[in-house]
Amino acid sequence: MTDLLKVDSRTMLLLRLSTIWRWLFALLTIGGATALWTGGLPISALWQKILLTVVLVTAAIASGIAAVLIGRCDHRGRMISLVLDYLAFAACFVLTLNAGEVFIGIDALGGTFGHGVPYLGIVLLGYLLGTLEDYLPKKHTPEQSLKAVSRWVMVGGLVLFLWQVDAVQGLIYVIGKIARPAGLASVAGMLVFGLSLWAMWREPTATAMNVKTHHEQVLNGWLFLSPNLLGFLIFFAGPLLLSFYFSFTDSDAFNPPNWIGFANYAKILNIRLALLNSPTQLAREVIDVKIYDEVGRLVVGNFGILFAAADKFFWIALRNTLTFALLAVPMSVIPALVLSNVLNSKLPGMKFFRAVYFMPSIAAVVGISLVWQWLYNATIGYINYFITLGIEFWNNLFHIAIVDPKIQWVSDEKTALLAVIIIAAWQTMGFNTVLFLAGLQNVPGELYEAATVDGAGPWDKFWRITLPMLAPTTFYVVTTTTIQAMQVFEQVFILMNPPEGPNNSTITLVLYLYRSGFQNFKQGYASAIAWVLFIVIFGLTLIQFQRQRKSSIYES
Amino acid sequence: MKPQSYRLIRFLNNLAVYVVLIFFAFIMLFPFLYMLSTSFKLPADTFRYPPRMLPRDPVSVTVTGYKEPLPLYYIEVDGGQKEFALAKSNIKVGTFAPADDPSASVERYLSEVSPTGGAMDQKTVAVNGKEEKLYDVTVDGQVVPMILLSQTTVGEFIDPQNPEIKAYQNVRLSQPVENLSWHPENYNAVIELQGLDRALTNTALVTILVVLGQLLTSVLGGYAFARLKFPGRDTVFVFYLGTIMIPFVMLIVPLYQLMVAIGWTDRLASLIIPWIFTAYGTFLMRQHFITFPKEIEEAAVLDGASRLQILRDILIPASIPALATQATFTFLYAWNSFIWPLVVINVGNEKNHVLTLALNVLRGRASDTPNLILAGAAIAIIPPLIVFILGQRFFVESVASSGVKG
Repeated sequence: MTDLLKVDSRTMLLLRLSTIWRWLFALLTIGGATALWTGGLPISALWQKILLTVVLVTAAIASGIAAVLIGRCDHRGRMISLVLDYLAFAACFVLTLNAGEVFIGIDALGGTFGHGVPYLGIVLLGYLLGTLEDYLPKKHTPEQSLKAVSRWVMVGGLVLFLWQVDAVQGLIYVIGKIARPAGLASVAGMLVFGLSLWAMWREPTATAMNVKTHHEQVLNGWLFLSPNLLGFLIFFAGPLLLSFYFSFTDSDAFNPPNWIGFANYAKILNIRLALLNSPTQLAREVIDVKIYDEVGRLVVGNFGILFAAADKFFWIALRNTLTFALLAVPMSVIPALVLSNVLNSKLPGMKFFRAVYFMPSIAAVVGISLVWQWLYNATIGYINYFITLGIEFWNNLFHIAIVDPKIQWVSDEKTALLAVIIIAAWQTMGFNTVLFLAGLQNVPGELYEAATVDGAGPWDKFWRITLPMLAPTTFYVVTTTTIQAMQVFEQVFILMNPPEGPNNSTITLVLYLYRSGFQNFKQGYASAIAWVLFIVIFGLTLIQFQRQRKSSIYES
Repeated sequence: MKPQSYRLIRFLNNLAVYVVLIFFAFIMLFPFLYMLSTSFKLPADTFRYPPRMLPRDPVSVTVTGYKEPLPLYYIEVDGGQKEFALAKSNIKVGTFAPADDPSASVERYLSEVSPTGGAMDQKTVAVNGKEEKLYDVTVDGQVVPMILLSQTTVGEFIDPQNPEIKAYQNVRLSQPVENLSWHPENYNAVIELQGLDRALTNTALVTILVVLGQLLTSVLGGYAFARLKFPGRDTVFVFYLGTIMIPFVMLIVPLYQLMVAIGWTDRLASLIIPWIFTAYGTFLMRQHFITFPKEIEEAAVLDGASRLQILRDILIPASIPALATQATFTFLYAWNSFIWPLVVINVGNEKNHVLTLALNVLRGRASDTPNLILAGAAIAIIPPLIVFILGQRFFVESVASSGVKG
């Protein structure tokens, strides 16, 4: 306990005012929560009401506790008080920006931004000028002038940029919008909370409240983390919970959602297997076609099993996605493994090749898919042209007559998915090569030297040293490539017209999710698909993780 | 082993290495080269079979006596190949023969013969049980009635220097004279057609703001995780780590509804603000800051520097490579993202389109002009490639190191 007599009168006054303010704050938040349920606030969606109530009631309780603690000069009271005021300040700040239509105004900036881009170039030039100084051999006065010049160039460029994008007009517009009741109320809120923050933050108050350095570190920690954490909660964790909630509703994005329990999941997972008497037996003879649709049949000899599901598109999408992953992952990983071993030879030019292989993985998938669409063109595309050339060469060489298949890559249901797989493999191969290359550089060279002494050939070395030593990298590469492959969407969406491809041969889980949620607006159902997709991905990752652990135990 | 043969084996080995590498480099680069070359072609050139890499145009010449320039073709004249201009096309030539002697055939322009007995009342003759029309054909100054055996179309080609010299040849089978010619105006055309200039500046704006915002929040958050001790820190960190493997598509539905609730659908803000806060970026920054020696900071704290000052004056200047790497990653992610803009920005609202969305619309709008589509694709693909080439040194290395740690 501090001796209160040592505290100056001004601080005493501020502490008293703070206690009153905390009680007032508690009352205000409780009032807000009540207004919410008596219709005083224009919010209708249930989840929004519940969420706000929880926030307000928590704030009220915390504020009450803080009021008591401040009275006792307990430093925790200061902490709670600071947190509450900080959050409220941040909320008022965002509301002010919103009232000033700053967020919406980004669209207007999009219109004028083009005029300003050249001047951003000047800013960049100024920055480069500043870094140039490090390369100058002389280390006396001129370098300082160079720094100064660089700074002025940057400021000048920035001013010109702001001028070109009509920043002044924009600012006047924003101020005009804020100068309305809602905006002014937010500004007033910012002032009140700001004042309260200052009263608690100032050094004499901190001393009076028995604050130690490590308490300061706690506040600093949360303060530094807060922008990230708040955004993360609002735009990631919150929506994730919301998605879970939606998956149990019939949400359609426009009307208030109704709770329907497990109905979405039940529909997805409602499947039926039936024995067939003959391979060509009609589906309606063995299943109730009012509920189930045939997804596929497995025929062995004269015996067959029919697979039917209530939502056949989901199961076709799952089959396509798994097929995609099963083919695209090895087609990307195995060449990458080979290439990385080749690149690992210490010959000149390897960095160049590494950069070239990396290029596909940084280009926009949408653009890449458009390019491949024309490469795949059945009559004028290069891929069929190369196949034709290859077949002609082969036929001339061996005097045989292989018929040119003239594959209809994207319009034939047999090759459509393969076309997508090839693009994906092509695009991820270089990235994986670089990962493997890094893994290879961690393999100690002594192992190879020892093996050479023992008379091992290059093939032995690859199987007995390189592969086992690369196991962790391989695990990482296979896992990330699989997770990525399970989410395939863009290639399919651009390459195929319609995206689900001929006879649904390229409908994937994410595509089906998109179609359910944003074309049919069954957003509850789409959320359920998302969670099933997550469980599938999680399961695959877990299996790989288990295998990796088992194999590493085996090796040790 | 003799030294010579050892050297030979090593040479062959290296040769094989380069053959493999060049083969794969060709596969990796070919689609890009195809995209660039096609974007400079004329539409007719893009539909040619067999396809060729470089853009070429047919050559035309002005010939005295003709108003329009005439296209040039390679023509066989007197056993040699010459460049002649096509003066007249669609000239119909018939092969005629007397009804009783098909071997005595002659070739005549259809315009030079006339129906026997007049057009209204053309005479016919029965050949092998079929009625065949008769034409008056002049042979050696004498008019002979003949039947039409076959008919083709030829073009009249003239020597550009001397229009009196003529040759006749099938136009479709003739090889046109072409020269290399690039059509950068395709880029202007596609920018006009799809408003790609606006889409480009929108993409740049969104990308710049996302990169700056994300760097700011993840530097602050990463520093808190790496250096500041506070209760709950490790719990939050584990929570962050756990969310890294959650795929983004999980969020499109609820995030869309959040955007509806706060009125950001169809707004550029929806492409920027939610992307500023990332668990992964914060994690990377934390991993980077934690490698810094603590002593420097402790000394600065003793000198009375605030945490923000330490971050600004000591840690950030020393972290430029790590920041550049993360900026490049974020740049690529923001620039190339498609599914979220597709969900949240209306197809009709072209003012707020980013490049990927614009390309999606362009795909349908210009489906018969691949040169324009691929010019659009090039506009979307080239800026990230430039960023990559500039930041290559940092970027590739750090991808490599993140993989090993992961």
